[in-house]
Amino acid sequence: MEQPVTTNPFIIMCINMTIVFAVLFGLSLLIRLIHAVDPTREKKKAAPAPEKKAAPVAAAPMAAPVQEGVSPEIVAAISAALTAYGCSGFQIRSVRPLPQNGWRQAARLEGRN
Amino acid sequence: MEFFNAFAVSLQSVWSDSGFAAFTVGNGIMIVVGLILLYLAIVKEFEPLLLAPIAFGCILANFPKTGFMEDPGVMQAIHYGIANEIFPPLIFLGIGAMTDFGPLLANPSTLLLGAAAQVGVFVSLAGAMLLGFNVQEAAAIGIIGGADGPTAIYLTIKLAPHLLGAIAVAAYSYMSLVPLIQPPVMRLLTTKKERETVMEQLRPVSKFERLVFPLVTAIVVSLLLPPIASLMGMLMLGNIFRESGVTDRLSDTAQNSLCNIVTIFLATGTGMTMSAENFLTLSTIEIIILGLIAFIGGTAGGVIFGKLQYKLSGGKVNPLIGSAGVSAVPMAARVSQVVGQKAKPGNYLLMHAMGPNVAGVIGTAVAAGTMLAMLK
Repeated sequence: MEQPVTTNPFIIMCINMTIVFAVLFGLSLLIRLIHAVDPTREKKKAAPAPEKKAAPVAAAPMAAPVQEGVSPEIVAAISAALTAYGCSGFQIRSVRPLPQNGWRQAARLEGRN
Repeated sequence: MEFFNAFAVSLQSVWSDSGFAAFTVGNGIMIVVGLILLYLAIVKEFEPLLLAPIAFGCILANFPKTGFMEDPGVMQAIHYGIANEIFPPLIFLGIGAMTDFGPLLANPSTLLLGAAAQVGVFVSLAGAMLLGFNVQEAAAIGIIGGADGPTAIYLTIKLAPHLLGAIAVAAYSYMSLVPLIQPPVMRLLTTKKERETVMEQLRPVSKFERLVFPLVTAIVVSLLLPPIASLMGMLMLGNIFRESGVTDRLSDTAQNSLCNIVTIFLATGTGMTMSAENFLTLSTIEIIILGLIAFIGGTAGGVIFGKLQYKLSGGKVNPLIGSAGVSAVPMAARVSQVVGQKAKPGNYLLMHAMGPNVAGVIGTAVAAGTMLAMLK
């Protein structure tokens, strides 16, 4: 093994934390740059405006097409969760199970890391 | 008479070649340790997907005279995958395919919380050097504080492979104890008013951003820190599989079959490094204690930086999300959510905490890369 640059733990901490902060700060600037040059951004700005002008829709779905097998209790829970996240200005268009199970995915992610 | 002589000699030969003849007290203790870990994994559900094969690998490693490492075979192949850092990047491929960087992209300042949480790594590094470990061993012990299993295994193999068993067991055990370790630290370092902070809804993130971010990150970090190019590259490749929308089969394979297969090999192989002579030492107990210090230090570092962001933003950032900078995804984010809800029912911090949580994965990899560059 080659000789390390230093064996002083305080110096190692200072240098490493500086580099970690610098790299992640640089990444945060890159993320802002990506957002600024996003060519799809203008289209997205126009689309929500008409929705915001409409009166906020009640959290309960108004005759939203619900796939067979999804119980009313699940629809109500999803609606309540969306409202709690602040999505009261949107209308639920459909409720259907995803091909992938999100909770199972989260469990796998937890198990892997 | 000749028959009985031959029979006696054969029996003696079978006995002397058996594991029983070479079985030591240390082997017995380690088999009991393996059984305890198996109990924790299966009954108490402590990270069972990883701890169960680690535990069984530990039991296998303490059967004498198996020739696992000497003779060509599946065990040697698994050991080859670990010793040559093949498995951790493949696990990262699966993690990248499972990770949603959306909350991070919506609020890039949470990257700094992921950076702040790495302070636990270096606090533990200092403690390890005080206890007599050399700097490479101390760095491998410190990375436990990053709460990132594959990165911890990757760094340990490069810097201190003889400590792999103890570090892996400590890392995965503490990851499963995140809901117990973090909340007291979070409550100690924050006021009730700070814990009650409600954060603004995150902005939507476009597909363009989701696709460009992994590309740019892979390029920048790999050029800056080549030692972790394999980890970061595979993490971002997996994320591209997820976000592109045209590689669903690859994403599905990376998250499911590939990840499961590699997990089995990696965990079993890690357990097989836990032989009695490697594990039953004072340094194992020291590593377990230092691992706890690293976790607590990382949580504290993230929360303290979260308080700083709270002050600088005029009360818009809840400091509790800082503890999620410890990259135990998604458990640390869930802990932020639970503690936040206890302070203010109805306060949903989960998605805000996912930003620093996934940032912590990148932060831990960067910390490992800088230590490799300085210390190898």
